[in-house]
Amino acid sequence: MAASAVRGAMALRTTGRPVAFVRKIPWTAAASELREHFAQFGHIRKCTVPFDRETGFHRGMGWVHFSSEEELHNVLQQEKHVIDGVKLHVQAQRRKVLQGDQTSDEEKDF
Amino acid sequence: MAALLRSARWFLRPGAAPRFPISLRLLAGGPGRPHAALCRPAARAGPVARGLLSQDRLYAIAAEKNYRQEEPTSQRRNASQFDWALMRLDNSVRRTGRITKTLLQKVFDNACVSGCPGGNQALLLLRSCGSLLPELKSSERTELAHRIWDKLQKLGTVYDVSHYNALLKVYLQNEYKFSPTDFLAKMEEANIQPNRVTYQRLIAAYCNVGDIEGASKILGFMKTKDLPVTEAVFSALVTGHARAGDMENAENILTVMREAGIEPGPDTYLTLLNAYAEKGDIDHVKQTLEKVEKSDLYLMDRDLLQLIFSFSKAGYPQYVSEILEKITYERRYIPDAMNLILLLVTEKLEDTAFQVLLACPVSREDGQSDFGSFFLRHCVTMNTPAEKLIDYCKKLKEAQMHTSPLQFTLQCALLANKTDSAKALMKALKEEGFPVRTHYFWPLLVGHQKEKNVQGIVEVLKGMHEIGVNPDQETFINYVFPSFDSVKSARAVLQENGCLPESNIFSLAELRCEALNGNLDYVLSFLESNTLSFSFGSLRGSLILGFRRCVDINLWSKITELLYKDGRYCQEPPGPTEAVGYFLYNLIDSMSDSEVQAKEEHLRQYFHQLKEMNVKIPENIYRGIRNLLDSYHVPELIKDVNMLVEREKTDSRKIMQLTSSDLESTLEKLKAENQPIRDVLKQLIVTLCSEENMQKALELKAKYESDMAVGGYAALINLCCRHDNAEDALNLKQEFDRLDSSAVLDTNKYVGLVKVLGKHGKLQDAINILKEMKEKDVLIKDTTVLSFFHILNGAALRGETETVKQLHEAIVTLGLTKPSTTISSPLVTLYLEKDDLPAALKAAIDLYEKYKILPRIHDVLCKLVEKGETDLIQKAMDFVSQEQGEMTMLYDLFFAFLQTGNYKEAKKIIETPGIRARPARLQWFCDRCISSNQVETLEKLVELTQKLFECDRDQLYYNLLKLYKINGDWQRADAVWNKMQEENIIPRGKTLRLLAEILRNNNQEVPFDVPELWYEDEKHSLNSSAPSPVETNIHKELLNACQWKKSKDAYNIFLKAQKQNVVFNSESYISLIKLLLVKDSFIQAMQVKDFAETHIKGFTLNDAANSLLIITQVRRDYLKEALKTLKTTLDLKQTPSRIAVTRLIQACALKGDLENIQAIQKMVNGLEDSIGLSNMVFINNIALAQIKNNNIDVAIENIENMLTSGNQTMEPQYFGLAYLFRKVIEEQLEPAVEKISIMAERLANQFAVYKPVTDLFLQLVDSGKVDDARALLQRCGAIAEQTPIFLVFCIRSSRRPGKSPALKSLLELIPELTEKEEAYSSVMKSYVLDNDVSSAKALYENLSAKNMKLDDLFLKRYAVLLKNAGESVPFVEPPESFEFYAKQLKELRESPL
Repeated sequence: MAASAVRGAMALRTTGRPVAFVRKIPWTAAASELREHFAQFGHIRKCTVPFDRETGFHRGMGWVHFSSEEELHNVLQQEKHVIDGVKLHVQAQRRKVLQGDQTSDEEKDF
Repeated sequence: MAALLRSARWFLRPGAAPRFPISLRLLAGGPGRPHAALCRPAARAGPVARGLLSQDRLYAIAAEKNYRQEEPTSQRRNASQFDWALMRLDNSVRRTGRITKTLLQKVFDNACVSGCPGGNQALLLLRSCGSLLPELKSSERTELAHRIWDKLQKLGTVYDVSHYNALLKVYLQNEYKFSPTDFLAKMEEANIQPNRVTYQRLIAAYCNVGDIEGASKILGFMKTKDLPVTEAVFSALVTGHARAGDMENAENILTVMREAGIEPGPDTYLTLLNAYAEKGDIDHVKQTLEKVEKSDLYLMDRDLLQLIFSFSKAGYPQYVSEILEKITYERRYIPDAMNLILLLVTEKLEDTAFQVLLACPVSREDGQSDFGSFFLRHCVTMNTPAEKLIDYCKKLKEAQMHTSPLQFTLQCALLANKTDSAKALMKALKEEGFPVRTHYFWPLLVGHQKEKNVQGIVEVLKGMHEIGVNPDQETFINYVFPSFDSVKSARAVLQENGCLPESNIFSLAELRCEALNGNLDYVLSFLESNTLSFSFGSLRGSLILGFRRCVDINLWSKITELLYKDGRYCQEPPGPTEAVGYFLYNLIDSMSDSEVQAKEEHLRQYFHQLKEMNVKIPENIYRGIRNLLDSYHVPELIKDVNMLVEREKTDSRKIMQLTSSDLESTLEKLKAENQPIRDVLKQLIVTLCSEENMQKALELKAKYESDMAVGGYAALINLCCRHDNAEDALNLKQEFDRLDSSAVLDTNKYVGLVKVLGKHGKLQDAINILKEMKEKDVLIKDTTVLSFFHILNGAALRGETETVKQLHEAIVTLGLTKPSTTISSPLVTLYLEKDDLPAALKAAIDLYEKYKILPRIHDVLCKLVEKGETDLIQKAMDFVSQEQGEMTMLYDLFFAFLQTGNYKEAKKIIETPGIRARPARLQWFCDRCISSNQVETLEKLVELTQKLFECDRDQLYYNLLKLYKINGDWQRADAVWNKMQEENIIPRGKTLRLLAEILRNNNQEVPFDVPELWYEDEKHSLNSSAPSPVETNIHKELLNACQWKKSKDAYNIFLKAQKQNVVFNSESYISLIKLLLVKDSFIQAMQVKDFAETHIKGFTLNDAANSLLIITQVRRDYLKEALKTLKTTLDLKQTPSRIAVTRLIQACALKGDLENIQAIQKMVNGLEDSIGLSNMVFINNIALAQIKNNNIDVAIENIENMLTSGNQTMEPQYFGLAYLFRKVIEEQLEPAVEKISIMAERLANQFAVYKPVTDLFLQLVDSGKVDDARALLQRCGAIAEQTPIFLVFCIRSSRRPGKSPALKSLLELIPELTEKEEAYSSVMKSYVLDNDVSSAKALYENLSAKNMKLDDLFLKRYAVLLKNAGESVPFVEPPESFEFYAKQLKELRESPL
């Protein structure tokens, strides 16, 4: 029984994947440069920098999907992220959380 | 001339100040005041001493005029327009001293769109066309001024003298050559009297071209009119003489001035200086400058900058450095210098511009801020040669003014689509050692793509090759292929031009592109003949889209098989099983539920073919697919996917979960030992059901019938239903009832039974099930009703008359759902399918008479029209018009004719006099056409309704565009645009946006300005009463504030709206209330709620808002209200959130309010599953309430009974009392703690139920009562063996900060736990989280002393902790990421050892 609970707990942890939302990416950098930079913090599952098909430029925004919160945490801990000499703005992608449901942990203990 | 001038003094009023004191001049140019950029020489001829001063005054005057003259009501819109324009332009001038062309154009367009721009707006626009536009050539500026002039005149703007003067000023600033006499004639024609300013400017115009004679003429004219002569006139004359080549006389003017009583001021001197500069006479310039210095006059940096311009413009750049030396770098210097630099670049004097740029005093130390970008950008715009650009870039970098000038310049070149410059810049970048990346070329490709310029594309590709950049797949797919008719022709053209890459990139791009387009034939043959190796993953996304666009299932299967079996495609570690499984998951996930439902047969075929091909997928992925299918309401497909599960591996990978064979042997063992087998049997049956092994499950049931439990039956019944086994399903159901007649299945299982019984003709049994559903009050959800419909419809399609009739009758009369067009339509379908039209019509009419519903009347009519059944049509029409009115009948007939292609008849109907638009019915038909992609029918509808009274044409065209969008038909969409103009329809914003989207998606230019997207609820577009603009605005504001969670703003907007009697819709109020509740503004939220309730009929909060309200009420301790809210919520058939209900129950418990907890329990009875409420919530809190009421013994007795009696409601291992224990400990209810402890120990010692005592133990540890915990452990040693419970505790605790002391204590109490991997890993995680280095060290040493093999994740965590604490790491830190090791560990655990 405990074994399945342990597995359940593991599964739960992997549902909401941590994502870094990156802004102010210089035009010279694309997804591969972003990936290259952030690889030092952990395993990157996915990295996207969408390009505008109308202009051929990206809009300076990108998303880096990490595998664990720890990795994202490490990214956010670092004071400065610089690609091609330009300082990036990095923040955790806010997930949609149900309002007023912050302390749900407590009730699960039954 | 001199005489004329000498007399000029008499024009001056005595005592008038002839010149401005220095202080005023400084003020005019001081920081923070808006003023113009550098003024060109001619600008000095302004009416007031400094052109600068006049600049900002004009803005001010214009604004003032606006407020005074225009009526506040009728002109409000115009006024706000003007304010906006003024603000934008003024801001620009204030900040930078210039205006960009785009900004001016935007303000201009806006003024035009608004209808008739006011005179002030015209003035504003005109006067912006001069020196405020340094980035535009003088000729272009004048052209722009003329364009504005003509356009506004056409729009009806009335010009006065101020406009003519403004135009003159622009001419002067732009050195535009024109005939002053013609100008005057034009004014006369327009019946406008020139004023003093006009004459002054005309004098300046003559002087600019050195025409002293002309100037004198005007001057004489001024004299006759007694107009005063100012310094500006004298300054103009200085220029006049100088340009006529007479420097002596120019200098003389100063003497004349003095004689006339006007002392020459800095403007006059500057004019003189400029005159010398134009001649390249540096000596005189220096002398004059010295003279000025000696006098009490003062020249500003801006004046010197102008001098620089004069020198370089006249071809004497060699003197620029001398003037630069004299600059003092005042505070406002930089913007002025920037404007000069831009102006010089515009005049193609970029070298001088660069010289000025380099001299700019900018901080270069930090090496961060870039200066000079504006210069580089403008150089690119003005087509400065690439070599020069590159040279500037190098020098800027050397001077440390700019960190990445080359990259920036390249960006500008790309944005401006300057291919040649871009190429040269990229080469330079490469030479400098910077990377040149593939996506640098995309903007260039986009430029050509828009024009489908194949040659241009080829040139870019060649350029890439030259620079040594290889196009990647994205480049081909997104930017190259769209310009060609087909990928094939792209290949041919590229080959011809020698720019087909040698690598396989092109082939792969081609493959992906074909896959995307659903060309699976190509994909298959490619994959078969392919010699390249690439991973399946890279093709997945494109292939999924392709699959969905292609209906050939054989191709699906063949491709999947190939990818599965061919080693070329699945070489990576997870292997083909994972890859294909993942692919299937993604394929289904990417489809919508309706798509999956529609393709159910296709998918089934596909899965069966895969099975034949021996394709396998992993169990865990199967489970994901199962969940997807379940949520799509196609559980019938589950068994088809299940066939693909890879069994062998399943057994080995699930070490922890018992497999069916394990369970079976356990069962036999237990049986042999004569022990109870109930639980194991149930588990085994459930497992077999999940493996879809019906045969085996049934056998087992037969063998151990006496030990069957309710749960086992439920699973088995469902399995039989899924396998279409009515016989066994029914038998099982009967056995189930015998076992426990009060037991209730869940809704889906009942529906499954009804379905399978109905299908096999066991009608009475099916009806009995329906009756049971009613009796047992089974929850009927929307999906349940939908399932009923599908059951009936399936039977109708099979032509089973009795089944449809009887089941429909039972469902409706039992009241399981109300009769509706949906649920009753199968009764009509039945006959339509049999082509028995009289019966179909009769069925519809009967339904109307019984239930007032008329299902499928449209389809019945269509069939009647098709068959030409005139009599029946007449009968139907008589009935409809009698029952529902003539209009409804006409619409029914109209739609039937349209649908069947009888357009002539349709036209006659819709032209019936008196018929008017019924938006809802029209929309219904539009939606129908869109969903079944009937282009022609919809086009006809739009065409025929052109003259229909009150028809919302825009809405109909919008629908048409929606359909065109689906089909990607931009030509027809474009035609709609023209038709709308023909019809004089003003399109709504959403229509324009949709049209623009279609055009853009198809690489067409959008011929209009696309309105900005705002919060617009499309649903409301059909509403007849359009809200006033004020209402819409305030509504937008509210939604905006709610979206950004600005509760105060939102609330204020609400108050404002309340005052203005504006009422929003329910949704808006609900959003606002929710926001206020979240922000704990309870009183305000209630105020909004009251208002909404009194102003909107039937206003109620939705589930989410009610849940939040309950939470807030609980927080404020308004428990009675909270209970009321809960009751309201449930009465409204809403589902409150689990957290809201739990909070309320807990609050009651802490008050000892047992009664209300039980009341809540009754209220939510039957809803526990949908709320997600565990029974334990009630057990814990009822006990807590009893304890609070000092009924400790009752509480304990209840719990003990539950755990020891035969009919357990909850299995002991899930019987968690942690909450109760924690609260009792927290609240220091000592007697209760003691008695609970005794109970827990008794349960353990006498009944071998260890969960409560272990929970208690853990709660003691958790709350720091280690000694009590230790004592409990000593009394009840079995606690130490409850490892699973501990592990769960460890894992959960490790996720929260601050739990490390508890975990540490736990390890001390139960030292054996240290050796459990889950435990020590969690504890280390917790130490890291709490930054407890010493405990972590102790743990590590303890474990290493025992020679435990520690996994890398553990070591990594420990190492990071040590490093962060600045300590050395005593081992080699695992180099990979956390994720890497976490994944590794997971795999290790799952794979067999």
